[in-house]
Amino acid sequence: MPTPRHHVIIGSGSAGFGAATTLRARDPDCRISLVTLSSLPFYNRYDLPDIFRGRHDWRDLLPIMPAMYDELGITLRRNSRVVDVNGTAQSVEFAHRETLHYDSLLVCAGGRGYLPEILSDYRPLMHNFASFEAAMEVHTALPKGGTVIMLGGDMLGLDLAFTLLDTGYKVALVTTPQTFWPHRVDDQLRGKLVAALEAKGARVHGDSAPVAVEEGLPGAPARRVILQDGTEISGDVVMPFCGLVPAVEFMLSAGVDIERGLLVRPDLRTTGENIWAAGDVCQIWSDSDKEYRFYHGWRNVREMGELAARNMTGSDEEFVAEDDGRIWLDKGSNICSTFWEH
Amino acid sequence: MTKHDQARSESQAGSVRHGARQPGAVYYSDDPRDIGWVRENVPCQTACPAGTNIPAYIWAIMDEAPGDSYEINREANVLPGILGRVCSRPCEDECRHGWAGNGDAVNICHLKRAAADLKHSGHRITESLYTPSGKGVAVIGAGPAGVAAAHDLSMLGHDVTIFEREDEPGGMLRYGIPEFRLPRDILTVELHNALRLGVELKTGVGIGNGEGEVSLTDLRRDFDAVLIATGCMAATKLPLKDDPDRQAVENTGNVEYGFDFLFDLHRGAVKTVGKRVAVVGAGFTALDCARVAKRLGAEDITIHIRTTEEYITVTRDEIFDAKRENVNFRGLRTPAALQTDAHGNLESIEFVQNRLGGWREDGRRKAIPIEGSQFVEPCDTVLVAIGQQAVHDFLDTEIELDWGNPVLRDGGMTSLEGVFAAGDYVYGASTIIEAVGHGREIAQGIDTWLMGRQRRKEVVRITEVDGPVRERSFDFIPRQHIPAEPVGKRCQSLTCEVETGFDSDGALEEAKRCYLCNLNYHIEVDNCIFCRACIEVAPKNCIKLVEGVDINEDGTYGELQESGEWNNVGAIWIDNNECIRCGACYYVCPTKCISITRHDLVTRDV
Repeated sequence: MPTPRHHVIIGSGSAGFGAATTLRARDPDCRISLVTLSSLPFYNRYDLPDIFRGRHDWRDLLPIMPAMYDELGITLRRNSRVVDVNGTAQSVEFAHRETLHYDSLLVCAGGRGYLPEILSDYRPLMHNFASFEAAMEVHTALPKGGTVIMLGGDMLGLDLAFTLLDTGYKVALVTTPQTFWPHRVDDQLRGKLVAALEAKGARVHGDSAPVAVEEGLPGAPARRVILQDGTEISGDVVMPFCGLVPAVEFMLSAGVDIERGLLVRPDLRTTGENIWAAGDVCQIWSDSDKEYRFYHGWRNVREMGELAARNMTGSDEEFVAEDDGRIWLDKGSNICSTFWEH
Repeated sequence: MTKHDQARSESQAGSVRHGARQPGAVYYSDDPRDIGWVRENVPCQTACPAGTNIPAYIWAIMDEAPGDSYEINREANVLPGILGRVCSRPCEDECRHGWAGNGDAVNICHLKRAAADLKHSGHRITESLYTPSGKGVAVIGAGPAGVAAAHDLSMLGHDVTIFEREDEPGGMLRYGIPEFRLPRDILTVELHNALRLGVELKTGVGIGNGEGEVSLTDLRRDFDAVLIATGCMAATKLPLKDDPDRQAVENTGNVEYGFDFLFDLHRGAVKTVGKRVAVVGAGFTALDCARVAKRLGAEDITIHIRTTEEYITVTRDEIFDAKRENVNFRGLRTPAALQTDAHGNLESIEFVQNRLGGWREDGRRKAIPIEGSQFVEPCDTVLVAIGQQAVHDFLDTEIELDWGNPVLRDGGMTSLEGVFAAGDYVYGASTIIEAVGHGREIAQGIDTWLMGRQRRKEVVRITEVDGPVRERSFDFIPRQHIPAEPVGKRCQSLTCEVETGFDSDGALEEAKRCYLCNLNYHIEVDNCIFCRACIEVAPKNCIKLVEGVDINEDGTYGELQESGEWNNVGAIWIDNNECIRCGACYYVCPTKCISITRHDLVTRDV
């Protein structure tokens, strides 16, 4: 009796989870290990702003209950940090010193929030929004009606900003080149989008770059952001939203090509044997653009995960972007983006 | 001999067989197993081109003896205060603490700097001086290779004269590296310390055939040996389409080679750049050019690289610091043309998009241009820093070359009798630590040739240690980042040193993280009762049941032959490659059969 193939998926976001369920549907006998740094099973990160609408129970965010992983025959390995991938030995090494062998590996590790290097010293004074736990920390730290100082304002951040404004909080947005990431907007559109944000109640600071974050003065809100021109902005919580940096550190010795993300062919194969990549972690070769491109947005990421799984089980399909990356204002001057569609 | 006997026998080989042990007792060994043990188990030292005894100097910092730490450094790399600031840190790439699952590498380089910074004022330098030999050696070039060689040759009793074309010594250290990375007072003091043993330094003296220059023939006549250590003093020309003679850079305004840009700046010339600066290249010179441009007022600075950030040879810290200063990095692009307006003024660079290819013979990644993928980046200034090359036209006597590099015999002699070569002049542009290491190696070769015999050799000094030095809690200390000036302050001046260095507390905390890989934990099988207590407490898979151990052809230890069958077990063996020297096994052992020895690779008289 042949040994079933062992598919290891690193990352249990929408790409990884979609890949796991697709693999199971196409290969009932295979072994699937879904590895995640998270303490929780897959939940949709796009739903995290709902915490400010009262969704505080993490179970409400899960698309499937944990028991379903057993029923699907997917081994979910939570709290597991991958520190190395050996492409020759076809093995994954964990921080807890375990080695896991694979027949095929799919990397869906996503990205972590980019923090401009100039602000890196101030990381301990900021909050992120990368997980349910982190989101709850923000919720706890933010007093009712309090102010979030948002640095950058990528599309993940702006989604949160609208929820905050909708629920009685204040948002001070310090724009940077990463505002509206991953969209590339020209000056004219940028001006209209910023005006739309202000119309929704956000206080926008667009004239000077943030250079420091400090503790608040006694009796004042907990944080201050200092801009290059000396302006100080007070708030209760500081949150950088400056786009994502692919999480590839653990792949450096795997023998695959990396630029900013893992470089993959249109069928999502990396240059390493039996290694695929999907989601925010990969750059896909675009023959028309003659370059490796990132494709962000929930629909693209989910499609990549499922496509990779199909190709890992015998298909030969190329990725076609589901999301064409548009941002616009509707008739009511509301900001709309394909990034948010799911 | 059975495997069982072999394992028992080998477990007592090497250092342990020298006699009864007493804490503090010292033995010297030239046994290849002991030398091989250090090479394999102290990866940082093995990776250092100068062979710096890194665990030893970090241990001295732990002992709050920065002066001792400084001297341990000087013995190997001559210029600790300089290297502690600008070394390329090959040691940190190999540090066991940085291996998968162990966390981040120890901040070895900045601890070297801490030794230099924190030693007491009036610190006493130690040198092991040999009696005068009566031999004279001319060194051409006062860069890192020349200075390191001159120091060692002088220490060995030879009369050394350095001939330096520039007005000040230091070579690339002084003229290639910006002051905000390497303050000139540090440079001056350390060069002086290296040369104060009696080296005569003649600056402003060129070697060549021109007026006022000294020829190689003159030097060969006047000295017993000549060392050429002139480095790589010509920028590599930028290849562009429709430019077969590679003259486009020289012929286009506001375009310059980074090497010349930095040299002119540090000779005292006033340099200016435009608002938008494009730097082409991926080495330390490219990053230095970008950061200098920032301080000269450029607002939009981009470093364009053929491959990607992952594959360039500069340290991660350098990339991070450049990014902090708002320098952009753009990968996978090769310049194809410089575009100018009707008046010949630079307007933009045309690039071709690349994809990554295989690996080059030198270990770097290939970049393959993609046909039809041209694009244009507007800019006001271009600085090209794609490498440097050695020049030979100053020699009045030809030496044998191979692909532009001098062919060396054993000991570093060129095809000319008595003429040696060292550093970047031999191998092409490399790093400071490689130049220092090679300079010292060739100095040893010159000494052997002059004296007719090898006078020094490497041995292992083995010292019995009275118990573990580290604590398990040290393993959880995060890597300490070196304090630095805020970006706003540092970028206001070309001379404001960016990194401010560890204070004594920071240095001590970082020093504690070092595993001290030169400690050899060893189980005496005769006293072991195989209780497995050590295996139970070990935080890693470092204590193994073995049938035997392979012996390599050179006499060093090879692979362990592990066994799961008690009947086949010949010994319990501490795998020093896995061991993090936490001491847990030592403390739990009921029979005290675990001993610790310290192994230092040292040079002794033959």
